[in-house]
Amino acid sequence: MTMHPIEQLKASMTRRSFFSKTAQGIGLAALGSLIHPGVAAGRALSNLQSGNTLSLPHFAPKAKRIIYLFQNGAPSHVDLFDYKPTLEKWHGKQIPDNLVAGKRFSTMTGKQQNRPLISPRGKFAQYGQSGAWVSDLMPETAKIADDLCFIKSMYTESVNHAPAITFFLTGSEQPGRPSMGSWLTYGLGSTSADLPAFVAMTSRDKEASCGQIFYDYYWGSGFLPTRFQGVKFRGGGDPVLYLKNPDGMTRQVRRELLDDLEKLNQINLSEYGDPEIVTRISQYEMAYKMQMSVPELTDFSREPQHILDMYGPDVHRKGSFAYNCLMARRLAERGVRFVQCMHAGWDQHRNLNYQLQVQCKDTDAPSAALIKDLKQRGMLDDTLVIWGGEFGRTPFLQGKIEDYRNWGRDHHPYVFTLWMAGAGVKPGVSYGVSDDFGFSPVENPVHVHDFQATIMHILGIDHELFTFKHQGRRYRLTDVHGNVVTGVLS
Amino acid sequence: MNVAGFLNFRGLLVASYLLLAFSCTRQMPDDVAEAYRQLPLQVDFNFHIRPILSDRCYPCHGPDENARKGDLRLDQQTAAMARLNQSEQYAVVPGKPGHSVLVERILSQNQEHMMPPPESKLSLTAEEKALLIKWIEQGAEWKKHWAYIPPVKSVLPEVDQTSWPRNQIDFFVLAKLESLGLPPSEEADKRTLIRRLSFDLTGLPPTLTEIQEFLQDSSVNAYEKLVDRLMASPEYGERWCWEWLNVARYADTNGFQGDPVRNMWPWRDWVIDAFNHNMPYDQFTIQQLAGDLLPQATTNNVLATAFNRNHMYNGEGGRIPEETRVENVFDRVETMSTTWLGLTMNCSRCHDHKFDAISQKEYYQLYDYFNQTSEEGIGYTGRVKPILDLSPPEKLQKVAELQDYVDKISTQVANKELEKFPRDPGQPAAESKAAVDLDGDNLYALGYTPNQRNPYYIGLLENYYRDRDQVYSALLKELKEAKRKRDQQSADNLQVMVMDQVDLPRKTFILDRGIYNKPLAQEVTRNVPEILPPLAPEDANNRLALAKWLVSDHHPLTARVTVNRYWQYFFGNGIVKTVEDFGVQGALPTHPELLDWLAVDFMESGWDLKKLFKKIVMSASYRQSSKVTPELLETDPENKYLARAYRGRWPAWMLRDQALLVSGLLVDSIGGPPVKPYQPAGIWEEATFGKISYKQDHGDALYRRTLYTFWRRIVGPTMLFDNASRQTCSVKASNTNTPIHALTTLNDITFVEAARVMATRVLQEGSTDDLRLKLAFELATSRLPQANELAILSGRLKELKHQYAGSPEDAKALVTVGEFPLPTGLNTADHAAYTAICSLLLNLDETLTRQ
Repeated sequence: MTMHPIEQLKASMTRRSFFSKTAQGIGLAALGSLIHPGVAAGRALSNLQSGNTLSLPHFAPKAKRIIYLFQNGAPSHVDLFDYKPTLEKWHGKQIPDNLVAGKRFSTMTGKQQNRPLISPRGKFAQYGQSGAWVSDLMPETAKIADDLCFIKSMYTESVNHAPAITFFLTGSEQPGRPSMGSWLTYGLGSTSADLPAFVAMTSRDKEASCGQIFYDYYWGSGFLPTRFQGVKFRGGGDPVLYLKNPDGMTRQVRRELLDDLEKLNQINLSEYGDPEIVTRISQYEMAYKMQMSVPELTDFSREPQHILDMYGPDVHRKGSFAYNCLMARRLAERGVRFVQCMHAGWDQHRNLNYQLQVQCKDTDAPSAALIKDLKQRGMLDDTLVIWGGEFGRTPFLQGKIEDYRNWGRDHHPYVFTLWMAGAGVKPGVSYGVSDDFGFSPVENPVHVHDFQATIMHILGIDHELFTFKHQGRRYRLTDVHGNVVTGVLS
Repeated sequence: MNVAGFLNFRGLLVASYLLLAFSCTRQMPDDVAEAYRQLPLQVDFNFHIRPILSDRCYPCHGPDENARKGDLRLDQQTAAMARLNQSEQYAVVPGKPGHSVLVERILSQNQEHMMPPPESKLSLTAEEKALLIKWIEQGAEWKKHWAYIPPVKSVLPEVDQTSWPRNQIDFFVLAKLESLGLPPSEEADKRTLIRRLSFDLTGLPPTLTEIQEFLQDSSVNAYEKLVDRLMASPEYGERWCWEWLNVARYADTNGFQGDPVRNMWPWRDWVIDAFNHNMPYDQFTIQQLAGDLLPQATTNNVLATAFNRNHMYNGEGGRIPEETRVENVFDRVETMSTTWLGLTMNCSRCHDHKFDAISQKEYYQLYDYFNQTSEEGIGYTGRVKPILDLSPPEKLQKVAELQDYVDKISTQVANKELEKFPRDPGQPAAESKAAVDLDGDNLYALGYTPNQRNPYYIGLLENYYRDRDQVYSALLKELKEAKRKRDQQSADNLQVMVMDQVDLPRKTFILDRGIYNKPLAQEVTRNVPEILPPLAPEDANNRLALAKWLVSDHHPLTARVTVNRYWQYFFGNGIVKTVEDFGVQGALPTHPELLDWLAVDFMESGWDLKKLFKKIVMSASYRQSSKVTPELLETDPENKYLARAYRGRWPAWMLRDQALLVSGLLVDSIGGPPVKPYQPAGIWEEATFGKISYKQDHGDALYRRTLYTFWRRIVGPTMLFDNASRQTCSVKASNTNTPIHALTTLNDITFVEAARVMATRVLQEGSTDDLRLKLAFELATSRLPQANELAILSGRLKELKHQYAGSPEDAKALVTVGEFPLPTGLNTADHAAYTAICSLLLNLDETLTRQ
């Protein structure tokens, strides 16, 4: 007599043997596919769905994981990385009409009739062997310039924050599509036994100068199954909700209760034969593991002092960017595939002269520390780090030139800079060029969809082949666009 | 075609190597030839061919004119059969695959020539190629997409097992099963049935008394009596209201920055009431889409139209009002379309639909119906006009007085600004030469009339002019305060956002790529899509006419879409699995004749939902056991053919309601303002940068049904998993299985408190440990434990009692979780031990799952 499929499954996978397998690197998605042949592993599901024969990765990946340091609010490219001496010469003079004609700005400067250019806020110099131009507002980033790959010809389509961020992270300005991390964990599965594959964290400047909201669709799974959505670690208290056992329930009591829960569920399984019951048992085990792994993850007490110092004093403040950067490294070490740290506070419409410095202070050292930390551990070889916002800022002034205290720069989607470092990208390179005013790309323009295609490529995915069929349409992260930017690939 | 055109192709798999009439057979690659031999005798256009054409060919040869290549379209018969662009050849020559360029191209190995082309990254399988060849060979018959042809009631199919069917549904289900050689499952036992029915119809488990009554009722119609009782209970309306709130993207705040609170809950209560009074679905539709336009519309009719205002609302500072307004109209069109038509319209916002025959023009024709409301996109609160004020007359009067004062001061400010900022008539003050030197915010503020301007921007102007023009600044201050006073009074009043119609119709233009300020030159006027039946001649072609059209008897979609959406709550999936998409890219129905039979019957019944639900739950198909055998897992893993009942986790909201009910905590009052039960600290604060704090309620408010939990749009209730986000219309629930869910039901205060109150109940009602454990088990699962289950629990209980007797601190801590008062006189260690047992029972897979 043939064995019941569930019996086979159980025989192959008692609870404990099942997790010892993970420790050997089978990974959660692989486990999922054991539990649920053809359903739990995203790519198998995708095969069923699309009629395409997907086998991921499509080619050898350069990176295994991504840490995305997303700078919400849009850092000013002309003040930080894209050095334009012309702006110094033209300081106080009107921007040439031919540049702004027909361009859309936010309502804040859309009606402003004077648009004087202003010089870069920081002092630029060249750093490292690559001679990268970096502003002195970013002293620590300047020191690692030889590890960085700048793209100075990014451009996007939206002039408002939420649609532009959604566009960067999901490929569409309207909420509802899967975010990059969901696509990747859906396609590539997890490599962590006791943590989720996709983690999102948020921080903001200490003074909360800008009121932007982190919408959960920034890490949402859209139409992909919800288990692929990013797990949002909260800034204060428990990073995962409901993680702590209730008062009065010890871990031992919990263990014993879960053991009995499993026994009772097994009895029901023998009666009902539903594979979902096996999944349920394994997910309760994962919950139990996370009760241990998450607090361990957030316990920095064994981090050497020099490492903590590198990230800066804010590293001890839960929910700060520095704290999240160190968390990102610890998550990456534990096999988490996609870490999305989002930092808000760059939206300097009328406090550029002061707030820009604050933001740089908040993010410069921690970002550089993360790169150095990964590098010294050899992890930069298989981790890709991305740093950038949803658009840039206008080279011209928002506000009035005589009102120095309230100087600002408005949203600027037409060109901006981001940098990447680590696996898959050339170090010490600057790709793409903007015009003398930092207004438009003049060489190798890179659209957001091109950027997304490139990220996918580095993870071994052909962005055009990797699709999910939903409501009658095959969707991709890159919609129907995007070309891999081969010039940045290592 | 109509559904009778679907082929029952079991038994038609013929090894048809004799059918070598096709002259190309010799040229067919081996794999295609092999697939060809396995094909059914008769190829069906709707079942076999259109899905291939639509999925692989329409992206370049479909309805979207701008994307079309080679001037070939394969979505229309005449075009597909026509002579190819500037040649003597034809893509499709009926009966002659050897002369059809389509066949040549799909078989080609030449990279330049093959279809689909390599750069599309699409490809055809050998079976799909064989199907296309055979279809052409058999005459290339063309049929209209099934869902656009009105349904008809077909005769009930014949079945072998004539004793099995209980009603019409079963004939269709059984005929399919018999054709596949699958036997239906046995009927579930009575305890499973009452549990399943109670959850399905009321969202709550049965009480122990209800179980006993049903078990003891041996009359032939015991089951039917149970069904009738459940459908008559007030919880029925609450249960179905929940699903409608997901469809209607209902929430208690606007979403976006600031996320202001709104008062839409009177509409939610209207929905509960409509379900409980079994309002016919056609009325339900008409009132919600266009109740304001009914002759002699009542307050309730107008309240119903809040459906159209439940969308998110972006009132961010600096936001362009027209952009907000246009997005809201989009949302209304798309919600209507998904809910009633089962068509995904959002693609047509920006371009002609790639797959369905809905043009961008037709999208904006529908848009025109919803473009006629006085909402202007201006406003920053949860009470953006048009509103319905449900307050008593004296409060209405107060707002009116405050509004009069706002109007008066606005006029004064406007007059002052005419002097101060001279400009052409009709222009905003911002356009004045005198405003040239102002900075962005002040200019922005002056872009609006004083009446439209919001207090924040008025305040900025006031500050700016404090030293520059004291008179003007003082006037502005007066206006700002007048508006604040009016808003405070409005906030105090119960104001619901509803629909109205402007006197002077707005013109509608196609918006280029859906961008609000890029209208194309051509004006469009309201109409329904051409693929669907025309509107009935009505007095006025307005939203009301559209609503009536949706529920007219000859409409091919509404009844099918509705029946199908409700079917999924009883069987896990729709008969059309893509509940949201009945278009050509949607799934084909698993039981087309059944879907049509139900749709027609639903219309004939007068759109009677209770009748529909009763028909469903009375069927033998519904009453089957949900047990999965190895054979079923092998042959029908997704349970498409219904040889067993649906088994899946209950939605999170039902799990919370269950915990409240079985513990005895549930407060079952109906309706009223939303409540704020337990939520971990800091969630709202974190989402709003500390600007909004969660002020948890106490007492009864903690124990209301989840339906009444306050829903902040930017961060929904934390204990709900897999629910719709309530940001856009959602007709299909997801059902996942993750560790986060486990943590919630194990550790959330709601569930731990329920466990400890349930433990109290068990301790008080049972006289021995055995009886108590049985009672607890029955409360959680609606059945009694078997001996082996009881043994596990007894062993654990003994151990727990011992452990807690030795840790009085822990015991005390566990039995005081939550705010419910602790009764006196219980042994704390025993209470803690039972609390742990109850928590375990509330986490059993069986407790969490519909069996």
